[in-house]
Amino acid sequence: MRALYAAATGMAAQELNVQVISNNIANLRTTGYKRQQAHFQDLLYQNLRRAGSATSDQNNMLPAGLSLGSGVKTTSTARVMSQGTLSSTEKTYDVAIRGEGFFQVTLPDGRTAYTRDGSFDLDPQGQIVTRDGYLLNPAIAVPNNATGVTISASGTVQATVPGQTAPQQIGQLQIARFVNKVGLESAGDNLFTETLASGPPVVGNPNTDGFGSLQQSYLEEANVNAVTEISSLIAAQRAYEMNSKVVTAADQMLSTTSQMFRG
Amino acid sequence: MQNAQLIGLSAQVALGRELEVIANNVANASTTGFKARSTRFQEYLMPKASAETFQRPDRRLSYVIDAGTALDMSQGSIESTGNPLNVAIRGDAFFAVQTPQGERYTRNGAFELDAGGRLVTSDGYPVLGQGGPIQINDRETGATIGADGTLSTNLGNRDKVRLVTFADPQGLTHAGANLYASTGPAVPAGPQARVEPGALERSNVRPVLAMSRLMEVNRTYAMIAEAVSRLDTLHGTALQRLADVGTA
Repeated sequence: MRALYAAATGMAAQELNVQVISNNIANLRTTGYKRQQAHFQDLLYQNLRRAGSATSDQNNMLPAGLSLGSGVKTTSTARVMSQGTLSSTEKTYDVAIRGEGFFQVTLPDGRTAYTRDGSFDLDPQGQIVTRDGYLLNPAIAVPNNATGVTISASGTVQATVPGQTAPQQIGQLQIARFVNKVGLESAGDNLFTETLASGPPVVGNPNTDGFGSLQQSYLEEANVNAVTEISSLIAAQRAYEMNSKVVTAADQMLSTTSQMFRG
Repeated sequence: MQNAQLIGLSAQVALGRELEVIANNVANASTTGFKARSTRFQEYLMPKASAETFQRPDRRLSYVIDAGTALDMSQGSIESTGNPLNVAIRGDAFFAVQTPQGERYTRNGAFELDAGGRLVTSDGYPVLGQGGPIQINDRETGATIGADGTLSTNLGNRDKVRLVTFADPQGLTHAGANLYASTGPAVPAGPQARVEPGALERSNVRPVLAMSRLMEVNRTYAMIAEAVSRLDTLHGTALQRLADVGTA
């Protein structure tokens, strides 16, 4: 009975859906987190009678065919790359991006990863690093006697050094954007890596040429909406339940068949 | 004498198929742009048995066949997703998609941009605009599909997604992966069909209807099984009695 397998694919899809939703909810307070959404597609159909096939030699044809589907599959768990809310932290090295772009981070193995999580700190050498201690790319070193570090909307990092009245530029933050940012691969730790689907990064200064602007002392919150997630969770759970009802019905029909002739 | 059992069997086969249709609908209750199918049954009259010696002519036997599975083209609910590249269609129309097998049609408006800047479906097939695939270059950001179906970026408007319709939507066949293939030609959709930006059309499977039909199918199937089983007992008893007559 194909119904059993179709319903089983439905149950598997809803299970995955719940998994995606629960991960979104778990990351409700993760800085720079972008929520995922599961997308489903129907599977192949078996055409028992094709629509439009002739029913007589008088040019009559079937108005509707007879086709049986075989269930559902998950195509993607694409991230929704919408802007998250910015919340004030009053920390000097917290930076949020308003609009397009990702911070570039140099991983220990030399590769570049991308993130929207701008909660930076300084390492012992005064270089700006992520929470995991990875260097920002391009690397920016803050002199240890510098005070009043400011990061402008266009990424210019300035600081006041003793003996100078005017603030000195100590670095320029650059961000990267992608044609298809949904195609980035999630590497965990709030990091993304480039893939064939995302296309190569386009690097530039913030606030120019389509790049987003920076906001110092702010962090971007996750773009997860609790209400939406909970309602999708309920819908997914109900859909799971319905599929299990179909399994039960198919099972009952099979059992009816096997008990037809007891004598 | 097996006619009654064969008629019962024809109904059971048809009901078994209907269960498969329901199972597929329920499995796709979360599939974007999915259109449910319903089963249509037909009476199939068996040609007359040719015994003419009886006083009354034989009645023709009436079997059941499942004639077709009609597409329910009713509107699914539209859910706002906030994704600027998601679009839902309100009204009777489809998006045109370019696949290696030729042009296919879909109601699933969960689009993305690929690495080359083309507007694609979640399978990576280009979505067709008025003049072929819709393309942006890597200088452009903030791609959004507007209420008239036009893809725009920070550098201005690009092409508009093509909405098509069919004289006979029942002639569409499912090609899987939310796509339909058509035998008839696609014509541009009229002004009654429009797109809803930042939203997706959910599956139009109605759960309550599916569940109640499921119960109905299940019960009917059991009833027929019971009838066939009783007929079998009847035959058995008849044979036994006849045998008893023979030995008495």
